[in-house]
Amino acid sequence: MPQLLSVLSKFKDEYLNTTPKKLKIIDAYLLYILLTGIIQFIYCCLVGTFPFNSFLSGFISCVSSFILAVCLRLQINTQNKDDFKGISPERAFADFIFAHVILHLVIMNFIG
Amino acid sequence: MDRVADQLGSLVVYLDGSVLSAEEISKKTLVLVDNFLIKETHSIFFKSLKDRGHILTFKSADDSTLTLFKYGELLYQNVILFSPKVEEFGGKISKKMILDFIDEGGNVLLATGSKPGVVLREIAVECGVEVDTPGSSQLGSLVIDHFNYDISDPSHTLIAVDAVNLIDASIIVGSRNVSPMLYKGIGLLVNNSNPLVLKLLSGYSTSYSFDPFANMDKSPNVMGKDTTLIAGVQTRNNARIVFSGSLDFFSNEAFISSVFKINDKEYPKSSNAEVSINLSKWVFKEIGVISVKSVFHYKLNERKTPMDYTITDMAVFEMELQQKIDDVWKPFSVKDLQLEFVRIDPFIRTNIPLVAEGKYKVIFKIPDVYGVFKFLVDYKRVGYTSVFNSTQVSVRPLKHTEYERFIQSAYPYYVGAFSMMVGVFLFSFVFLHADLDKDKAD
Repeated sequence: MPQLLSVLSKFKDEYLNTTPKKLKIIDAYLLYILLTGIIQFIYCCLVGTFPFNSFLSGFISCVSSFILAVCLRLQINTQNKDDFKGISPERAFADFIFAHVILHLVIMNFIG
Repeated sequence: MDRVADQLGSLVVYLDGSVLSAEEISKKTLVLVDNFLIKETHSIFFKSLKDRGHILTFKSADDSTLTLFKYGELLYQNVILFSPKVEEFGGKISKKMILDFIDEGGNVLLATGSKPGVVLREIAVECGVEVDTPGSSQLGSLVIDHFNYDISDPSHTLIAVDAVNLIDASIIVGSRNVSPMLYKGIGLLVNNSNPLVLKLLSGYSTSYSFDPFANMDKSPNVMGKDTTLIAGVQTRNNARIVFSGSLDFFSNEAFISSVFKINDKEYPKSSNAEVSINLSKWVFKEIGVISVKSVFHYKLNERKTPMDYTITDMAVFEMELQQKIDDVWKPFSVKDLQLEFVRIDPFIRTNIPLVAEGKYKVIFKIPDVYGVFKFLVDYKRVGYTSVFNSTQVSVRPLKHTEYERFIQSAYPYYVGAFSMMVGVFLFSFVFLHADLDKDKAD
């Protein structure tokens, strides 16, 4: 147990000290999306699947936003520079915004 | 001119110049007899028919000019077969013609004696009634009951039947609270699984049908409670047929004689007359005839029959029934009328309450199922003509514009989806500014 605690505190220190601020912002955003998605899922379990299309669009918009944010995080992370040669952080952000525009158009069409 | 045409519409002009209204055709009755003496021996019965407006045509059963149809139309509406001995009819009448006559809606009253002719037996069998096979003797078979006979008859073949043995349907046989009836004739057998055949008058558990003078060397074909004395059939097209195993049941002698039943008191007069006359009213459709006067259905608060219904609409179904009493249509009021809303299976089966004399109305919710449905009223009661009315309607799903625009239970999902949009918008600001801050810091 104390070992686990030490591991966790070390992990926390490492994260706070070495992770760039940009990635921390993305992580906070991811947490927000995750919580929103979980709330919707619990609500659906309690109330039932009607109206199913609304549930799907609400939930899928969370999942997709999460995926897009993770992609952005991968592409911006300086540790992955070798994997994403030729993709600048600006380009990554533009892709992220473009994908979001498409996503929300689809979601609005499907939500009912 | 119009008035002349109207009048012609309800008249049928025969080639021989006679002109009859529809009313009179329904009262045209052919009586086939073995022997014209029957006009005298059964005069009370025939007189009651004449008094009720029947136009009786007496013909010998082997008359060579006999026919029931002319140019495919019924010449008579009713046929009385008081010719128990006939083996084969004269003219064009045959078993097939009688059955065709019934299929066209004609009514038949058939009475046989102790030794019925072949053709009568065959007609009866086609209608679901079996006549006992007569013995080989000259006399034939008679219903015998050693516990319920009239004491005037030593052979115990003149059965005194209590009125409780009548079917429990006053519309057919009238009151069951009358004196016993006298019956001397052959026994009938009815197929109990045939719902169209009614045992109008049945025998006792001690009754059986056999040759009264033969040795009992075999078991009778007809015995016990199965012994049927008078049977009735109402076919699916509402034609009516009555079979009596006894022609004497309708005779003046039976009508006026007193009854002294063994182990019972003497009754001054048998009730043959009342029962016979009620039976003849029923079989010739003077009573127990109901029909649909009008059918109307609409969406609640619209009072106009729609092209189609939408699922879960409130529908109103109205119906008027009428009954023929003394040749006049009067409202028919009952409490057990049912409506079914059917798509192969009934989705809704409900009582239709009576709202006024002969008027019925029910309001119900169309089920949440779409397809082609029928409003179905299928009213069958013993003694009454069957009413079958089916009105087809289509029930469609909601149009795409008719669905709810915003559903309350979906608000969390709306909020979720919009929060994702707002989220990405705010995130962009924070992300880009953080970028700047970091640049400055660097």
